[in-house]
Amino acid sequence: MQPQPNHDESVRQDFVTDLRAFLTDEIFSKIVPYYEKNVEPEFVKEQSRKPKDKSEVRDLMLKDKSYQSWSLLQRLSQQMMFTSVIDTVERTLNDLIDRSKLHTSLGTLELDNKVEVPRYLTAYDIHQQPGGYHTEKIEDDIAPGVVYDISLPIYSRNSMGDENDLLSQAIIGHMQKHIKMPEPESILDMGCAIGNSTLPFAKIFPSAEIHGIDVASPCLRYAHARANALGVTAHFSQQNAEQTKFEDATFDLITSCLLLHETSHDALPKIIYETYRLLKPGGWMIHLDVYPFHRETIEPLYDFLKDWEVTNNNENFSGALRNMNLQQIFEDAGFSKETIEFTSAEAIAQYTKGYTGDFYLKLPIYLAQKPKTA
Amino acid sequence: MNSKVELSRIAKGKKPIYLDGRSIDNLMAMIMTLTQEVSVLRDRLDTIEVLLAEKETISLEDIDNFVPSDDVVMQRKEKRQLLLKRILLPLEKDLEK
Repeated sequence: MQPQPNHDESVRQDFVTDLRAFLTDEIFSKIVPYYEKNVEPEFVKEQSRKPKDKSEVRDLMLKDKSYQSWSLLQRLSQQMMFTSVIDTVERTLNDLIDRSKLHTSLGTLELDNKVEVPRYLTAYDIHQQPGGYHTEKIEDDIAPGVVYDISLPIYSRNSMGDENDLLSQAIIGHMQKHIKMPEPESILDMGCAIGNSTLPFAKIFPSAEIHGIDVASPCLRYAHARANALGVTAHFSQQNAEQTKFEDATFDLITSCLLLHETSHDALPKIIYETYRLLKPGGWMIHLDVYPFHRETIEPLYDFLKDWEVTNNNENFSGALRNMNLQQIFEDAGFSKETIEFTSAEAIAQYTKGYTGDFYLKLPIYLAQKPKTA
Repeated sequence: MNSKVELSRIAKGKKPIYLDGRSIDNLMAMIMTLTQEVSVLRDRLDTIEVLLAEKETISLEDIDNFVPSDDVVMQRKEKRQLLLKRILLPLEKDLEK
């Protein structure tokens, strides 16, 4: 389902991949030593102590032109990624839309124009993707989904796998190793976007019914077409995870990948309560997201750097999420206290297409089980 | 038949200032885009050279259908890294202070 870039578009996109690699390997790698050698000693000289928290580090770093140059370049690389990809999508869009309608026999697609896109997704474009994931410019639009799909390999230096599914592969790996549960018969992936994290569940549990929901209709259209192109059966519907149309106790397993940190203070508890309602007794939820809390022991510099995406890449809620008491929210929703866990799913990512090497990833996951007696 | 659509290229959201004002930030954006275009031109030239080494005349289609070999991909990557190293040398030097 992906478009074919022409010659110049293709090498323009390659440049962004290489720029991002250069910024990480050659520039960002020098930030910590630079801070320790230049920025921190200046502070110590004046205050006779080290910066005590990330806000003091922030005050220092936002005044530092070298750090700010890297930060600006990193932000620009994200913008360049999208513009270089949008050229291809814009040029080929009519053809892509036609192709998206060719094969639709597997699974279902249910759109509902009464579903409102919540303010936390319309106030700003998350990840700086122009127009966000929901904007439609043309009948049967799929553009935001295509843009997302072909940006991910550039973003990740081709390390997310051929089908961009590294995240849910990590969840599946964790489930198989650490969670005792019968094979799920029904699975819901919340905030599924283009379904790249939904489809692995259909492959690993072929007899299960797989649903993906999202508020963004162009992504869902693309998700359904993409699933058909890949020969996988899944059901996609336009619904808000805060309040869905599914009946109580419908699913054995409910997942999300990088959904919660794109929501809000109000929406997150609603999503957790809705997850609880939709789970069958004994069912599990697994949300893969950002580290859920600020660790006291973390070095102030790393604490500061961890929040880079918040202000520089339109991830506005991800910083606030870390300060929420998720344990309490999960308990209040009804999840069994002893099953609530904040841990990591492990994955080995591999660079491809001209980059070599693999790296070990620890992806934060939040787990909980609905009581069997609920 | 669908009509031609124009997609947005600017993301909605806060635009922090990084260096000495918006115009300097904009200059950085322009320089990086210009660098990208230099890289694109050089890759296109490279494609034409590789194709012309194989046959005497080539078409625009030949250029768009060109699939670089693994060797060509690696060579281009190295050249891009060198280009970036040259362009970003002042920043690298500052960080190595």
